[in-house]
This record gives sequence, structure tokens and C-alpha cells, in this order.
Amino acid sequence: METISEENVAKAEEFKNEANDFFKNQKYDQAIELYTEAINLNPNIAIYYGNRSFAYLKTECFGYALQDATKALELDKTYIKGYYRRASAYMSLGKFKLALKDYETVYKTRPNDKDAKMKYTECQKIVKVMLFQKAIAVDDEKKPVSDSINLEAMDVEEDYSGPRLDDGEVTETFMLALMEHYKAQKKLHRKFAYKILLDIKKYFSSQQSLVDVEIPENSKFTVCGDIHGQFYDLMNIFELNGLPSIDNPYLFNGDFVDRGSFSVECIFVLFGFKLLYPDHFYMSRGNHESATMNQMYGFEGEVKSKYSGQMAEVFTEVYNWLPLCHCLNGRVLVMHGGLFSEDGVTLEDIRKTDRNRQPPEQGIMCDLLWSDPMPSMGRAPSKRGVGVQFGPDVTESFLSVNNLDYIIRSHEVKPEGYEVAHNGKCITVFSAPNYCDTMGNKGAFITMTGGKMIPKYTTYEAVDHPPVKPMAYANSILSLLAG
Amino acid sequence: MEAIPRDACLGNDDAVIATNDDASTCKRCAVDLGYWSDPYIHYFVKSTDRKAPEINRGYYARTIAIQSLVEKFIDITSGKCQIVNIGAGFDTLYWRLKDSGRVVKEFYELDFPSVTSRKCLYIQRSKPLLQGISHEDHDIKLNRNNLHAYNYKLIGVDLRNLKEVEEKLKESDIEFQIPTIFLAECVLVYMNITKSSQLLRWITQSFKSVLFINYEMVNLHDRFGEVMLNNLRCRGCDLQGAETCRDLNTQETRFTKEGWAGAEASDMLSIWGRLPPEEISRVTQIEMLDEQELLLQLFSHYCITLAWNDSRWAEVQL
Repeated sequence: METISEENVAKAEEFKNEANDFFKNQKYDQAIELYTEAINLNPNIAIYYGNRSFAYLKTECFGYALQDATKALELDKTYIKGYYRRASAYMSLGKFKLALKDYETVYKTRPNDKDAKMKYTECQKIVKVMLFQKAIAVDDEKKPVSDSINLEAMDVEEDYSGPRLDDGEVTETFMLALMEHYKAQKKLHRKFAYKILLDIKKYFSSQQSLVDVEIPENSKFTVCGDIHGQFYDLMNIFELNGLPSIDNPYLFNGDFVDRGSFSVECIFVLFGFKLLYPDHFYMSRGNHESATMNQMYGFEGEVKSKYSGQMAEVFTEVYNWLPLCHCLNGRVLVMHGGLFSEDGVTLEDIRKTDRNRQPPEQGIMCDLLWSDPMPSMGRAPSKRGVGVQFGPDVTESFLSVNNLDYIIRSHEVKPEGYEVAHNGKCITVFSAPNYCDTMGNKGAFITMTGGKMIPKYTTYEAVDHPPVKPMAYANSILSLLAG
Repeated sequence: MEAIPRDACLGNDDAVIATNDDASTCKRCAVDLGYWSDPYIHYFVKSTDRKAPEINRGYYARTIAIQSLVEKFIDITSGKCQIVNIGAGFDTLYWRLKDSGRVVKEFYELDFPSVTSRKCLYIQRSKPLLQGISHEDHDIKLNRNNLHAYNYKLIGVDLRNLKEVEEKLKESDIEFQIPTIFLAECVLVYMNITKSSQLLRWITQSFKSVLFINYEMVNLHDRFGEVMLNNLRCRGCDLQGAETCRDLNTQETRFTKEGWAGAEASDMLSIWGRLPPEEISRVTQIEMLDEQELLLQLFSHYCITLAWNDSRWAEVQL
């Protein structure tokens, strides 16, 4: 510990006292500023950190509060208030076991302190309840919700006029009828909806995390990017480029749902075509095929509104099985997000990735779903807070290691619907025009022929869609901030 | 994108009034998630579906910025001031200021009678709101569209009718000499430019020492702005004042042209950057944004303009 001049020791105390006054008057931000001044002058006083921790707790900066409380205790293990502050921070961060440890320390040092005892017992209760809940949950987690779906018990009402799965199989007739049904804003009966979901889950769970696609020479292949629940724009893509078929294969590169108001319609059409043409219709997982995203950006709300919470849970299980990546003719790699935080990742690494889970906060699966290209060399932390930004050298190196020509990814809205970067080696394609009814961008898709595999771009504007209430499903920035 | 024909839309006034309902539900959603503290909003509006995180952040930035500016003004004037909130809707600023220990001489809220009548009703129905405006020496007087309390006055009036606005404010004992804030959030833009200019001119000519805080759209000349205008038009909201929202400069000159001494406009992106870092840190942890594009665009298309006719108020900044 460095020695502090007497002058600074005194000045720091002054700042602390001033800060305490602000704290008393509930002016926590000013208190924090002044505690910081005190600490800058004299970083050796536990109380400064302890008090600042308290102020951070008041302003709900629990991470900072924890840091400060820990530092306070490092400086002085006997500083009782430090344990209280840290325990409070832990409680707020949901780390109840750690909070309990700190309360225990205080209680043991002061067995006659009623307040210490009370906090300790309260915390103990919370931890007990938590452990109990976890114990039950573990059992539930073992059994997927989809296993409990009983299709036979679902009756289809006489007056249901929508398409039906005869013998439970998707047919071309069914798909045509389904798309018309959806255009008219009607609902697919839940019995058939669940059937599709269960069949899709079964199918995808037999796939590897990286799927190899063969495109015969001179055969057409289309890659589409984010759709984000924009059903009428999806119908427009089929209008412009033809319906999916054995001769007209498609790959949809993730983010089928969320933000747009017609995510349910989109996902069932895409899943339907997947079941109809399993070897000519492909789907990649996007970062929005995950529970957290679906909760915040509208899909869960939409499913709950149109069907039920149970179906939302089934979707989560189904999305966990979506492949992460597709390799076209061994030459072009297609993933939703982008490349990796580390060098040397191979296609085999991706193939072997265990994907039946929610996207993790780092690693191969995370990068595949979240990363973005950047113009400068090397790597940088992602602006999104998850994944990484990767430069042209990273792309070059990856392609070289894996004998690939270029990558196609999505994930970012582009004014023209697509963007070619990294000297043509990293192409972004985004298929949701006028994203969120707000951005005014064009959508695009890529077509190529097997053999040359040269990308061609088709761009298009948004088409009209029914005016679904702006407040519906947590989406549509249409409501803006205009009031 | 085709625009829906005018006659198929709601009457413009109704559509404008509806923006208050939208804003209120959005604010409630953000408050429920913990973006800022407002124990009063739920008396005015029910809880609804969760909104997109960009909307929550947008309302947070606007609410906090405006509250900070108003608080600064009140502190500088030691409360010897007035606040006039035009197009106030279901705003709860009066009660939030009281909670923060700030009392002003007079607080006026003006809006269409159909809005103030509802606000009157909600206030009457809830004890905390009534308590907030009560004072031992003063009875609360109210009729269908208006409410007069000790230092809170709710007035039902059409802002386009300047004569009536003037009359009603005078009837409510407004003072023209003491420091006054005029606050408008997405209000002027719905009036035609002649009317809004008239109003701004009258304010600076009649009040000796005013600070105008105007929150509104800006940079409407680009693609995003074009889409925004079209979206609002499709909901029946014709932005008659869109020309003044062309850029930050037009937002300033609309004041200086009418005789205001000075004006300064900042877009919400720059305002966001001026908020305290701990607050930004706290708020960004409430909901994770999957991407920044949309928020950046939204923030670049809204601004806060400060205008004054008393150079003391040039100091009121974030």
C-alpha cells in the first residue's frame, strides 16, 4: 500500500463527509462521484468503498456494488458493514448462496445482533426454496414438453375450414392451402400445428450441427436471410422467385420469427416446406430462435396469443435442434451470424458442436449465431455484447483452413438488403424489407447455380400487410415514440 | 408502400389524441420493467403487452432528460417558477416532482377537453393522486374538463385556439412575470405551422422569462423519416408541422423566427450520451438489445429543443 500524504488523507475525508451528506439527502449519483474523489485521493480506506457500494445498491448498479464491497473487505476483513453490502449485492444478483455465506459471517461474529440473525434466517429460507425448486425442475427438464403432446386427444371441430394433414403428412396441396389460409389471416388448427412441430423436431434431431448440401451442376439454389415474422414479404419472395420445390431449393438462414407480427405464419410455412422437401429446403438457426429473444421480441407473445404457453415451450425445444450451419458443395459456408473468436475452427469442429441447448454466451455455437464482420483487420468485441467482430483476415484464414470459397451470413439489416464485404468473401443477405415497419430498407435474396456458385442478388421493397394493432406482440416499432 | 387514403383514417384530432394512449401504455410498460420510477402511471393506464426494448429505452431517455431539465430549472429558481405542460396527456410529472421534493408556484397542464376530462376522472378516483394536489388551505375545484387545485391546474382547451388558451390561463391566475417553463412533447408537430408559430410568438411576447422544452421528431428528410411519416399518416396522424422537423436547425429557427432570443436542439443520441454513466449502465442491463441499428435510428430522429427569451436559461443543459 502506497503512503498517502496527510493533506490528501484529510481531503479524502472531506470528500467522504460531503458524499455522506448527499447520500442522506438521497442524491446517490452525487454521493458516488464524491466517494470516487475520496478513493482517488486515498484508496486504502475500506469505508469509502463500503459507502460507495451502498450508494451503488441504491442506484441498482449491483455489479459495481459487489466490486466495491469486495474491495472494502479486502482492505479490512473485520469491516462488518462490508459483508452486509456484499450480501445485498449478491441477493440482488440472485446469488443467494453467496449472500448466505456473508450473512453467516456477520451472524457468527455478532450472535446477539438481532438484525444479523434475521437477515441470515431470511436468506436461508430463500436458498432453501430455491434448492427445492431446482430439485423439482431437474425432473421436469428431463422430460421434454413435446413428449407430453397427445395428438389423438385433439379433436378438429366440424366448422374448421382450414387445411388438414391427411394421414398426418404434409403435401403440396396442404402447403398451397396453408399459405392462402394465412394470407386471409386465419389460424391453422393446433392439432396440425403440433403435428408439424413434432415431425420437425424428430427430423432435425437426426441432423448434424453442420449440414452438407449438394447442388447439382447448373441447378438453381436460393439463400434467404432474416424474415422476422414478415409473412407477406415471405409470400412476395415466393412470388418473385417461385415456390419451393425439388427444382427450386431454398435455404433460410435464421431469424424466421420475432419483431414482425406474423411470426407464427412464417414458421409454419417454413417448417411445412421442410417436411415436404426435406432434401431441397433448409433452415439454419438464428439468434432469434431462442427463448430469451422470443420473450422480448414478440414470438412468445404471439404463440401464447394464437395458441398456448405449452406450444411456446415446444417451439423452444424444436429450435434447439435447428442446424447451426450449412455447407454448399463443400465450397460455400452459410451461417446466421458469422465467424469465430479463435483461429483454427474447422468444419468438423462445427459438425461436432452440441447444439441441443439455448445459445451459450461464448464459443462456436455463440459465434455462429451472433458474430458480425467488420472492415478492419483482426477481431474486436461485439457491439452487441455477445459474439465477436471479425475482420477480412479472419475470414481469409478460415476459408483457407477449410478449403472454402466464401461465406454467406445474415443477422444485420442492410439498406439494399445485402452487402458484399471482405473482398467478396463475406456476404450478408437480409430478407426482411422495411424491417419493423420502420427502417425503410430493401430485402434481398441470393441465387446461384451449382458449378460456378457465383452469387446473384435480387432486391425488393416491402409489400403491404394487414394493419395488425401496433401494440400486439411486443413488436412493430410502428408505435414509435410519437405521443 | 401505399398510403391509406385520408378519408379512411381516423379524424386527425382523434388520431392525435390516441398518441397519448399509446405513449401512456408504453411508459407503463417501461416503468413496470424498472426503467424509471413512477408510482402514478398505473392510475391512468392498464398494463399491456410488453413493448420492444427500443421503445422502452426511447421513453426512458425522453422521460429522464425532460425530468432532469425541469428539475434543474426548479432548483435554479428555488421553486419560484411556473410550469406549463401543453398537450400533457396523462403525464405524471407534477407528482414525480413532488416526490423528489420539488414544489413550484404553479403547474399547468393543457390538453384537449376529451383528454383532460379523463384525467380529471382518474385523479378523482385515486387517493395518491388527490393527495398529491391537495393543500390544507385550498379546496379542489373541478368541472367536467378542468381541475383547479392549490398549485396544479388542469385545463381542457384546443391549443389551436390561441384566444381561448390565453383566456383560460389568465382565468387560472397565471403569472406573466415569473420564470416559466413551457413543455411540449410531440405536440407542436400536429398543429399546422401557422398555428404553432402563432402560439410560440404569443408565449415569448407575453411571458417575461421563459424556457421552452420541446421534444419532437427531427431529421425527417431521410428514408427512415419518410417511413415514419408514412406510418403515422396511415394511423391518421398527419404531421402538419413536419417541415419544422426537417433538421436540428429548423427546430431552432422555428423559435428564433418568432422572436425567441436563442434556441438549441440536440438529438436523442447526443442526449443519451449526456446521461450519467451509472444510469446508462443500469438501464442497458434491464433488457438486452439484439442489435443497435434500430435504436440508433430512433434516437437520431427525435430531439429536444431548448428555447429561451431570458439568457439565464441558456444555462439549463443536461
